[in-house]
Amino acid sequence: MAYKDFRDFLATLEKEGQLLTINDEVKPEPDIAAATKAMSKLGAETPAMLFDNIYGYTDAKVAMNVMGSWPNHALMMSLPKNTPLKDQFFEFARRYDQFPMPVQREETAPFHEVEITENINLFDILPLFRLNQGDGGFYIDKACVISRDLDDPEHFGKQNVGIYRMQVKGKDRLGIQPVPQHDIAIHLRQAEERGENLPVVIALGNEPAITTAAATPLLYDQSEYEMAGAIQGEPYRIVKAKDSDLDIPWGAEVVLEGELLAGVREFEGPFGEFTGHYSGGRSMPVIKINRVYHRQNPIFEHLYIGMPWTETDYMIGINTSVPLYHQLKEAFPNEIEAVNAMYTHGLVAIISTKRRYGGFAKAVGMRALTTPHGLGYCKLVIVVDEDVDPFNLPQVMWALSTKMHPKHDAVIIPDLSVLTLDPGSSPSGITHKMVLDATTPVAPETRGHYSQPLDSPVNVEKWEQRLRELLR
Amino acid sequence: MHTCPRCESKKAEVVSKSPVEGAWEVYMCPVCIFTWRSIEPETITNPEKYNRAFKVNPADIPNAENVPALPAKYIK
Repeated sequence: MAYKDFRDFLATLEKEGQLLTINDEVKPEPDIAAATKAMSKLGAETPAMLFDNIYGYTDAKVAMNVMGSWPNHALMMSLPKNTPLKDQFFEFARRYDQFPMPVQREETAPFHEVEITENINLFDILPLFRLNQGDGGFYIDKACVISRDLDDPEHFGKQNVGIYRMQVKGKDRLGIQPVPQHDIAIHLRQAEERGENLPVVIALGNEPAITTAAATPLLYDQSEYEMAGAIQGEPYRIVKAKDSDLDIPWGAEVVLEGELLAGVREFEGPFGEFTGHYSGGRSMPVIKINRVYHRQNPIFEHLYIGMPWTETDYMIGINTSVPLYHQLKEAFPNEIEAVNAMYTHGLVAIISTKRRYGGFAKAVGMRALTTPHGLGYCKLVIVVDEDVDPFNLPQVMWALSTKMHPKHDAVIIPDLSVLTLDPGSSPSGITHKMVLDATTPVAPETRGHYSQPLDSPVNVEKWEQRLRELLR
Repeated sequence: MHTCPRCESKKAEVVSKSPVEGAWEVYMCPVCIFTWRSIEPETITNPEKYNRAFKVNPADIPNAENVPALPAKYIK
């Protein structure tokens, strides 16, 4: 079942006991970021938060941690909120296979209610605030940024919907970080080679399917809107922009239309990133905003990012793991069981697999390094047996404890590529990578004493299912 | 004009005032683009107490790396 818009999802979270409204007065800084970071520290099942009494504002509402837990991730897919993580993974993989789902086009949208084209001041329109103490300013970091391929503008799939960090750098001005690997950097390059500005739309406060699709590492010509439809199981609703041919999520709370300025770079950052470190002090492109629309009394959705785990890690966990799973399946369709690439966007990945013969698991680990996502991530790949749940870290630690022999099972490959944000890479973007084989040795690799593995009492799985239903 | 806590330029200006009159103002520095709110902790608002590791020397700003790189025709 699809959520109509952001408010519809918030209503479901509230009904399911997964939304905490903070009515007490809070200061924009440091309270909202501090409360959100504190919420992340309380575990993996925390609620979203809605702040509706913010000092100095009359009617601002700020939503945080909206997808910052596994129950909220399950509800994103309209699954029961206590759906186990591994089941969420397989359900996401099943829906990923439904891609592409055609879109549904609309003529008007709720965000058309209020339109501003003169004297735009983003600092007045949005209740902006600082996230981390070293940040260079106020950021927007959970919005969908939409742009088109200028050389192939009719290609719907080459229209990109991505989430990028954006620093508010003036009343109608944003800095944006499109690193060269990002799709929007391809569009910007095309525009700059022509000497033209690149039209962009920024949509804030969306229902969660498009946010999830926008944060999924899709191929360049795959449409995030058609993936959002696949994830929610219904066509995704979009509406045209007024100043360009770009398509906008119908249910957005706030929409900014503007253009990326060709040939402009300006000092940006720093900004606390998902690696748990700041990055910045570089010169980055600038967006000029020409038109703003929003719903009456819009809800500002924002995302605290910082030392993991935060909402980001829940938002890009499963949707990073599933493409890697599919790419490994292409090579080893009968062996790959599941992939957990949730640690710092997949810098650490865990793969569970069957083994055909000795040495096979190491080959699976090496293949992960050469997948598209692996080229920038997968610094450490842990390979475990098919009956070890890669999402259950105590099980993975058990496999490492008992199955791995450091002399035989630790493989280091020197000087491979990694994302430049990896603070350990040296030079930036280059690192050694490691495969740890924590699978049971199979012939002809006969070593260790693994002939008497423990089994469970009869009917444990039936009891597990029954208990889960009783606890629902 | 206000003093930027980060790069200490004297050119920062008010970019927003609280909807509730007198609660706070937001300032922005046109030199290093630092942005802050008047009621933030002193470690943010006071140039003397701003974290030294995050200070910006205006002389370094023109040398910052371009990300992504600019096509050749834009490089003077």
